[in-house]
Amino acid sequence: MIGPTASLSHLHRADGSASYKCPATGYNILGAVNAPVELPGRRDALKPEEATVEVFVKPGTTTAGVGERYVEGLLRSVLGKVVLGREKGFPRRGVVLTLAIVGGENIERGDSYLTVFPALLHAGLLSMISASVPLSMTFSATLLGVTKSGDIVRDPSPAAAKAAVSLHVFAISSKNHLLLNESEGRFDFDTWELARQNAVTICQGSSKGSDGDVNMEEEKNASGNGFIRETVEDQIYSDYVYKLDSI
Amino acid sequence: MTTPLVLLPSDEVPRDYLPANNSNPLRLGPGLRILSQPSSKSADSKHVLTATQAGLLTTDAKKNTVSLLSFPNRRYIPTVNDFVIAQIHHSSADFFHCMVSPHTAHALLGQLSFEGASKKTRPMLKQGELVYARVLSVGVGAGAEVELTCVSPSTGKAEGGMGPLAGGMVFDVSTGMAARLIRANNPSAEIDEIEGLVILAELDKKLDPFGGFELAVGRNGKVWVNCSDSEENTVKATVAIGRCLQETDQKNLHPHDQKKLVSKVLREMKLT
Repeated sequence: MIGPTASLSHLHRADGSASYKCPATGYNILGAVNAPVELPGRRDALKPEEATVEVFVKPGTTTAGVGERYVEGLLRSVLGKVVLGREKGFPRRGVVLTLAIVGGENIERGDSYLTVFPALLHAGLLSMISASVPLSMTFSATLLGVTKSGDIVRDPSPAAAKAAVSLHVFAISSKNHLLLNESEGRFDFDTWELARQNAVTICQGSSKGSDGDVNMEEEKNASGNGFIRETVEDQIYSDYVYKLDSI
Repeated sequence: MTTPLVLLPSDEVPRDYLPANNSNPLRLGPGLRILSQPSSKSADSKHVLTATQAGLLTTDAKKNTVSLLSFPNRRYIPTVNDFVIAQIHHSSADFFHCMVSPHTAHALLGQLSFEGASKKTRPMLKQGELVYARVLSVGVGAGAEVELTCVSPSTGKAEGGMGPLAGGMVFDVSTGMAARLIRANNPSAEIDEIEGLVILAELDKKLDPFGGFELAVGRNGKVWVNCSDSEENTVKATVAIGRCLQETDQKNLHPHDQKKLVSKVLREMKLT
């Protein structure tokens, strides 16, 4: 299976930006973060001691509709919990995240929006990291589809997702906690538990069962959290190449 | 020096990376926080240092500090004692309202916080003019105002070139580049650290016959450049310096390429 690709900090005028491409589902997301900025109007009056996280999702070809509003709400609640909104310079300010779906199949009205959700989460997290927004943890997400025969498929294509009985999105934090669970369709608890175990393996990499050190390292990088780490490390090493040369 | 270490949010700082200096307390730079983990076995809790941003861990054994070097393109967050280049937005009875970074509230600069300023001799700055100032306070609590000053509060003198910036031109660079320029030209650093920047030395050498140049670097990602030669050359040299700095920043050039860039830009500007 071909892994996802991502790059950081390529938009010049945004404080942080990232692009994320998932070959399995075909989605290509471009994210930009500006933080901390002054929000127009005091929409933060309820929580003056914290930063407000605003998320905008723009589909490639149409205007944003109900589906976009729905994922915006989900993204806001996940990222709002991960962002440390009380750090210096952040209270009463806004963290504005814009995610544009620049590639992949169009999501028609009525289609499930969960197919694009993991890609949006990854692009959002990487943009936040790139803008140096203080975060309490990192996470990675995965989409799992359950077929009619009961098989669990990782990252199903939009067509396969349409045919699936149920769809599950899980986000697992870098500390191995379940951060988010969104499910759609008909399923029982055993199926869900099986899907959750699958998601933990995908996001965290299997910590048991492998014997060689090298092998373990490779498996770690193939996992979701390992991928996030590798992308960020690569960018930092290339940004600070002058510093590393002198060491 | 151990191998360079990149931390991600929630990663712990390994103990063997901390500077082994027990004479003064350890100081934490931006991007790090201390958390206490209550342990179930004993009553006292364990303290761990964790990262809140992604970055390269750097330590200073002499000052006993540990900090994270984060992404250079990030937004500037005002910190006390930083030098910034601010632009006057408008003026009120007691303050100049200045812009330090885009999309943030205005910073306040007292009408009398200039060297030797009194009610009669204060500088009359107009909208759009520039000052080189220091962050005096960032206030307490949420949404507090940032205050700037152009004099050192202890001596009453404009130290380090603070005050209105007349003439010249401002170029935008990343905040990481601004910090790097300041570190590279810090006269108090014992070791001759150049941070991989040879561009200013090279420009200085090449532009010396044209009367040299003045440079002010603000931590908010702004560089002010001024040259003092005949009118035509002034404009050319100013633009050349700005282009060199911006290109070095955007392309993250190696010292060798920086020298090439300077020759190329000066040749294009017919300044050789």
